[in-house]
Amino acid sequence: MVADLPSHPPVYQPPLGSPAGSGSSAIRAERLEVRYRNKLVWKDATFDIRPGEFVAVIGPNGAGKTTLFRMMLGLHWPTSGVLSVLGAPPRRGNYRIGYVPQRHTLDRETHLECDKLVRLAYPGKRWGPGKRWRPLQWGPRFQLGAERDAAERALEDVGAADLGSKSLGSLSGGELQRIFLAEALVGDPDMLLLDEPLSNLDLRRSRELVETIHGLVRSRGVTTLLVAHDINPMIKCLNKVIYIANGKVAVGTPNEVLTSERLSALYGVHVEVLRDSRGNIVIVGGEDERGEEGA
Amino acid sequence: MSGGGWSGIPWSWNIVTDVRLLWSFQFMRNAIEAGTIIGILAGIIGYFVVLRRSAFASHALGHTGFSGAAAAVLVGAQPVYGLLIFTMATASGMAVLGNRASSRDVTIGTVLAFALGLGLLFLSLYNGYAQEAYSILFGEVLGISTAQVAFTFWSSLGVLAVLALIYRPLLFASLDEDVAEAKGLPLLGLNLAFLILLAVAISFAVQIIGVLLIFGLMVTPAAIAVRLTSRSLSAVILSVLLAVTAVWAGLFAALWTNYPASFFIVGIIFVEYVCVRGVGALRETALLQAVDAPERDGVRSLRNATLTASVSQVLLVGGAAALVVTLLAFPGAVWSPAELVARALWPLLALVAAGVLGAASSLLYFSGFRKMATSSREFTAPAFLTLVGLLGIGLTAGGLGLFLSGEALASTAYGLAPVAELFGVPILFLGVVLSLVGLVGQAVGNWRVGLRYEEGALRAGAILMVLPLLGYGIACLGYQRALSREPAPAPLSVSG
Repeated sequence: MVADLPSHPPVYQPPLGSPAGSGSSAIRAERLEVRYRNKLVWKDATFDIRPGEFVAVIGPNGAGKTTLFRMMLGLHWPTSGVLSVLGAPPRRGNYRIGYVPQRHTLDRETHLECDKLVRLAYPGKRWGPGKRWRPLQWGPRFQLGAERDAAERALEDVGAADLGSKSLGSLSGGELQRIFLAEALVGDPDMLLLDEPLSNLDLRRSRELVETIHGLVRSRGVTTLLVAHDINPMIKCLNKVIYIANGKVAVGTPNEVLTSERLSALYGVHVEVLRDSRGNIVIVGGEDERGEEGA
Repeated sequence: MSGGGWSGIPWSWNIVTDVRLLWSFQFMRNAIEAGTIIGILAGIIGYFVVLRRSAFASHALGHTGFSGAAAAVLVGAQPVYGLLIFTMATASGMAVLGNRASSRDVTIGTVLAFALGLGLLFLSLYNGYAQEAYSILFGEVLGISTAQVAFTFWSSLGVLAVLALIYRPLLFASLDEDVAEAKGLPLLGLNLAFLILLAVAISFAVQIIGVLLIFGLMVTPAAIAVRLTSRSLSAVILSVLLAVTAVWAGLFAALWTNYPASFFIVGIIFVEYVCVRGVGALRETALLQAVDAPERDGVRSLRNATLTASVSQVLLVGGAAALVVTLLAFPGAVWSPAELVARALWPLLALVAAGVLGAASSLLYFSGFRKMATSSREFTAPAFLTLVGLLGIGLTAGGLGLFLSGEALASTAYGLAPVAELFGVPILFLGVVLSLVGLVGQAVGNWRVGLRYEEGALRAGAILMVLPLLGYGIACLGYQRALSREPAPAPLSVSG
């Protein structure tokens, strides 16, 4: 599927002329319900994400944000309802999705060049018998040039071209997140799932990374879902917000969802949404009385 | 080990003759061939062991191999077959029981202890208990037969072929497990395949290095390699080279000295590891590169200062030792400064150089601490103490100059000599005390900065600072003893 893509990402056309309905959805969920170890995580989620949208997934710890991602990656199955990702049921190993997990195996002791990690993620052409048989997984590579070019392009697109020859263990948190982003981007995916890329970054670096991601959304037209604790660094770039709390899911534009009424209905207790003069949001109330937690 | 009655061969200093002589022994040819194959295998597999943090797993597989070898000995088979069966079974168990990196070590440790106990039981059932246990635990490279070499060669070729096939996915799964899982890579299968390859490699390596020393050959060469290069292919090649050269050098050393080859192999690798860590400590840490300008400059000054101070301290210790040796060579002699200079020129020059470098390092320390103090008040005190130390070094030099000039003048201008000596000694004493105060300040500041920025070099420097203090203490004690030597202290009689 990836092999059919042109070697350069197409200039993104806004989905104005695309026909309405389920065919043009990047993600479509209908009355979705999910359980984890037989315990209800959330239910009754119905939403529609269109191609090229930049969406924040917000909610308290343990609300089921990562579970949503794992379902889209085909690593977890809904107990009921319909989920369609890029026009098909979710399946494991979907090369049209780029994924940055929250947890990473590598650490300060990992001595390996960054571009090696990005190149390893390059899917390459499909060959051999059957659809599941890919050279990425088995055997030596025969298209090192294409792989190198793709890795270089991905690193350039995330503003990390100069980091390619550095060791993974020597990078700062923000630099590392850029490398992970390039790793997710190297197969020219149609969708990015970014799990907490902004955690452990200070406000300035968060904003820089959000700018990079927003640039990718606009230039490549890649549908992007981003799990975050703080919505403020990205609030001006968002098309939609998925707010998960209290076993329920609310979806809409930031102005629709982040209101006192909607969040109070979601949590079932009174929640106050405050805005300052620069458009920053603070959510007071919710699952605990700490103001800084919700937003 | 070393094949029973073998007592080393004469070393002729002619490399060609020596190697030819070695090559004429069949058992030595076997040992070198097996050692080379195993070195290559260990170097390559070891890279993944380091990358996957499976060092403990490889250690444990070696231990279960012990029970396998013991069982084989008990039933009268070649130990290597027992090793292979037991380590592969354990590897499969490990892969199935805990496939997530975080949950492995308790599982592994439990299996390890049981396996070792089992091996003990098997060996106690067997008659030649001690000899067999010794060769399994510490290796028996010179006892490898030609058939075993062939078996090792073909099996290793198989291992490397499988590894070439799963190289990319294994590397990817080792680096980013969650993404690899999402991309559809079979994590469980990869882990199982890797552990089985590891088991085979360990079974062969046990033959030459033994169960207990397996870590040195399987893990350390690769750990050294990844510290020297961050390119994966270069690291693998380097790791292989380190392992193979260590095995060769160990074998040759064992033959000529009649000490065990395992010791030399592990010893060579250990020394290489220490050197690499030492060089690594001199590099700047990533943490430092991320901090802001004045602090970073400050820490850089401190690094240079520490380097200078280390050289100074080496010169100080070396020069003082050389001086003492020179003085002791002429017991009872009365030394005039001219004679001293004539007889101990180099030690004195070393001491002067140590003093100059010490002063330079103190200047660097002062500038470093002052820069640090702009951002954090806790470095104000080290900066101040360093300044005191600088003053002390100046006073020491001045006092020494006065004292020596007094000595020199003693033969010519009688009037001035007592004055120079009178002031020289107290100024010298004050200078030394203040210098030591400065050293304490530098040591404390160094330690704090080293902790804050994870700078191994600075922490090591802080410890080095203690050396002159110790030296001073020892010098004081020695002076005391020299003073009280004339009436030699009678040994206290111990009342029975």
